[in-house]
Amino acid sequence: MWTKTRSLMLSRVLTVGAAAAALVLMFFIPRFAEWYEEISVGRGVIGGSIAAPLTVTLFFTTLLFLAVLAALHILLSNISRGSVFTDSNTRCLRFISWACMLAGAAFFVFGLWRFIFMAAGAMAVFFGLIMRVLKNVFAAAVELKQDNDYTI
Amino acid sequence: MAIIVNLDVMMAKRKISLGELAEQVGITQANLSILKTGKAKAVRFSTLEKLCEVLDCQPGDILEYRKEDS
Repeated sequence: MWTKTRSLMLSRVLTVGAAAAALVLMFFIPRFAEWYEEISVGRGVIGGSIAAPLTVTLFFTTLLFLAVLAALHILLSNISRGSVFTDSNTRCLRFISWACMLAGAAFFVFGLWRFIFMAAGAMAVFFGLIMRVLKNVFAAAVELKQDNDYTI
Repeated sequence: MAIIVNLDVMMAKRKISLGELAEQVGITQANLSILKTGKAKAVRFSTLEKLCEVLDCQPGDILEYRKEDS
């Protein structure tokens, strides 16, 4: 039967799986960038080769992705221990929000070479914004919980 | 905080221990300790009522307002 514990376990397994996949894919980033340069027909403000800037962007965003997965793992560990509305979890969500914003900024910069990547940047920033709102909700919940815990 | 909890004074007057009071009021010792040490943020009327009943006192005997120096 599907339980809360199993759902949490699945989330943790998926997080670790995503991290492993990202680590493996990192080795293929330079090759992918070269391949993308060959097939890419898009345009941007800056001309010339896109392999180097794409490699840098993908490495940077993959590192951020790994950091976000680590934060998610901490978050899930805390939740499975029963600590949901805590300052530690709020910090995790804040970190995830900023990481998404940074990834968005990186894609915006690469958008100077290929405009299409600005769409990816906008999506990442929007996701970061959602996470920020979630972080604010968590911060309010932490305060409410503390009030409740200290009401005798 | 400007609200002072004089629970320890009342407990000493009535010669009742923390464990006994907690049991009679129906709250945990940990919660009663939070209240006694002034760490509590709020007190339920039901808890205050029970405390007054057990300690045979008025709410004013347990809670006191003292102006804070700014």
